[in-house]
Amino acid sequence: MAQINRSSICDGVQFQSIKDTRFKTMRMSVHFLIPLSSQTAASNALLPFLLTRACRDYPDYTRLSQRLAELYGASVSADVGKMGDVQRLTITAVGIADRYCFGGESISRELAHLLCQMVFEPPFDENGNFREEDFKQEKRQTLENIEAEFNDKRSYAKLRCEEILCENEPYGISRYGSKADVTALSREELRTAWETLIRSARVEVMVSGNCEPEEVAAGFKASFQQQRRENIPSCDTKIILQAGAVRDVTETMQVAQSKLVMGFRTGTEPDTPEMAQTRLMATIFGGTPHSKLFLNVREKLSLCYYCSAQYNTAKGIMLVQSGVETKNMEAAKEEILKQLHEVQAGNFTDEEIDSAKMSLCNSYRTIEDYLGSMETWYLAQVFRKSFRTPEEAAAQINSVTRQQIIDAANKVTLDTVYRLKGSEGNA
Amino acid sequence: MERKILESKRVGDRYYEIDHPTGLKIFVYPKEHSNSTYAIFGTKYGSVDTCFKRSDETESCTVPEGIAHFLEHKLFESEDGDAFARYAKTGASANAYTSFDMTCYLFSCTENVYASLEILLDFVQSPYFTAQTVQKEQGIIGQEIRMYDDDPNWRVMFNLLCALYHNHPVRIDIAGTVESIAEITPELLYRCYNTFYNLNNMVLCVAGNVDVDKVLALCDKMLKQNPPVTVDKTFAQEPRDIVKPLTEQSLSVAVPLFQLGFKEEVTAQRKSTKELVATEILLDVLASESSPLFRRLLDAELINESSFSYEYFEGPGYASIIFSGESHDPKKAADIIREEICKVKASGIEEEAFIRAKKAIYGRNVAALNSSDNIANSMVSLYFAGRELFDYLDTIAEMTLEDVNDALKEKLDEQYAALSIVNPIQTEV
Repeated sequence: MAQINRSSICDGVQFQSIKDTRFKTMRMSVHFLIPLSSQTAASNALLPFLLTRACRDYPDYTRLSQRLAELYGASVSADVGKMGDVQRLTITAVGIADRYCFGGESISRELAHLLCQMVFEPPFDENGNFREEDFKQEKRQTLENIEAEFNDKRSYAKLRCEEILCENEPYGISRYGSKADVTALSREELRTAWETLIRSARVEVMVSGNCEPEEVAAGFKASFQQQRRENIPSCDTKIILQAGAVRDVTETMQVAQSKLVMGFRTGTEPDTPEMAQTRLMATIFGGTPHSKLFLNVREKLSLCYYCSAQYNTAKGIMLVQSGVETKNMEAAKEEILKQLHEVQAGNFTDEEIDSAKMSLCNSYRTIEDYLGSMETWYLAQVFRKSFRTPEEAAAQINSVTRQQIIDAANKVTLDTVYRLKGSEGNA
Repeated sequence: MERKILESKRVGDRYYEIDHPTGLKIFVYPKEHSNSTYAIFGTKYGSVDTCFKRSDETESCTVPEGIAHFLEHKLFESEDGDAFARYAKTGASANAYTSFDMTCYLFSCTENVYASLEILLDFVQSPYFTAQTVQKEQGIIGQEIRMYDDDPNWRVMFNLLCALYHNHPVRIDIAGTVESIAEITPELLYRCYNTFYNLNNMVLCVAGNVDVDKVLALCDKMLKQNPPVTVDKTFAQEPRDIVKPLTEQSLSVAVPLFQLGFKEEVTAQRKSTKELVATEILLDVLASESSPLFRRLLDAELINESSFSYEYFEGPGYASIIFSGESHDPKKAADIIREEICKVKASGIEEEAFIRAKKAIYGRNVAALNSSDNIANSMVSLYFAGRELFDYLDTIAEMTLEDVNDALKEKLDEQYAALSIVNPIQTEV
């Protein structure tokens, strides 16, 4: 299996690479990591989208898109997300390996060149600001992205539950910032946010797949090394180990199916050996089609089509999501809690442990078959002291004992119940 | 058993094609350095197949809408437990899906490949339906249907299909309706199973870290002989014209959604690979991010990059080109798309735009060969449509500007277009 190489470029900027010729493509990403804060979330979130719109050589959006098409349908994309209480701004380029081109072009080098220009040399206007037209377009589109989150009720309900669960923690802030904050943004703020990003964000430059990573990253290394880097933040995440009184929120909308999302504190901090134990516990509870939740809430009681648990390691929380008929919501909630009690009481078989272990190991080992998954895997570890390959994580899972699973389950406390209730009169 | 080897010099990959004596078509696409293996066992039977005639019967018969999907759910169960419980012992991640024209059962795994494959081959060949299990499933699928009732992307698509198609069952939701699935009985499930889950009507595709000999040995052991029954699928006569040019619905959304579809003439044959590729390139020229149309829509603030898309929606007895997205003014967005189509039809496609689109489509199809799941899924749907993976790649590489301009003349006829819109509920906004 291909090896991961890690090295430091300069203060707070790290380079990770995996050369892997099994793939027909190469992938290059720059991740900027900054503490989530309501003051800066909106301006930061707009940046990756604004930066990928144009660059020095291709200041026009359509010309840039055409150039990428000429590079055999290469793509440059922007994304924002959260890793615990940290905001992640990502710019990614993906293209086919040079050997598959008709005429010996070098796609990886050109993509790296474009990406580097996008980050360091945005086409500013005569006053040194992002151009009005670009800014207006990206602001509108971000507002529409926020609105689109409302369109998908399954993920909307999950976002709402997280927002309520973490209302007093940075994690409760939307990855895009609030609608009001985005609306109020100015181009001057964006210029400042960009400067701060280049100077002070934690940065992970990652290159993987079928290319020569060192060659691809050379431009980035040189550009970052020219920067005056200072005030690199520590990027800590606040972990609340135990829930207080249960927060209970119900909202009504004109939908056919209601959603129930329950937010739990797992009492597990990231970067500890307990993480693997909690991961396995959550899998037995609701991570597979042979988990307690699937077999009981869905299969035995027919209460819903989906019912599953996800453990967020970076934040130490666990969410249970389900889509149910309004009249069955309380029955589903009781059954979900009952199944958690079953795990807490040790009422699960050795077969359930084994199958959860096998299922987790299977997903760990599959990671290396996808460049995007590998990148996510290694990125998730940048704030940790220990560093593991997927295979090492699998070994760790396999060493978890029955008692450790029970102990992990008994640390879990219910914090928030969110219901998105369908009103009777449908439109 | 003869093993045919198909090879692509362009991408340096090869796979095996085998006709098993039981009638099953088998593809094995080895990726030696992959950790995982992905297997898919599919039947050419989907939601549109509600009316059919078996070769050993004289009368054709009609079954309830949604039954193919219902059958997919129920096949996981057998007399001694369900398939998920068996996969739990191998660590495989298993799933299934039903589309308009096929039903597929699949798994992905890194260990116990052959044990997992044995489970797949076994449970798909072992139906077990009882009145009690059918009734229980009606509750679960009822919830699935409700979930899709709220899904604006799903609704905007089926509303469009209802505006384009008078009679073709593609207009019906894949899962059926709460009413139609209430009519399903174990007897009907067995009838559909025995008709369509005949190995002569099925395909097995395994891609990833596998040995072709071991796959075939397992097939010899597990595959059952099937009677040589064939099926005639009968679709109600579909007129050339559309039902209505505009359809609207209000749902709990913040931004309106739209789909603009252009219905095409079809014959009993599926469209050729050449026509498919020409259409793919044509749509890229017309509406990709590098197109004048995309830019015009963006500048007019009528679409956004994360939601605008287009596809050639093609299957047995239906074919349409569909543009879709979120827009604060769907009608205006649709008008501009129509205008640009007229413009391009009048001027024809330019050489430069054609070359660019061809390279882009080629690159994306090469990139799709990265993953075993992509490969296996593509091979199954290509096979059922009478197409082949490497031939598809070659056809892209050999496509000419004339081919695409010819396609442009035939396609995107304004007379057969319909617009579907999902609007926000006024009281919620």
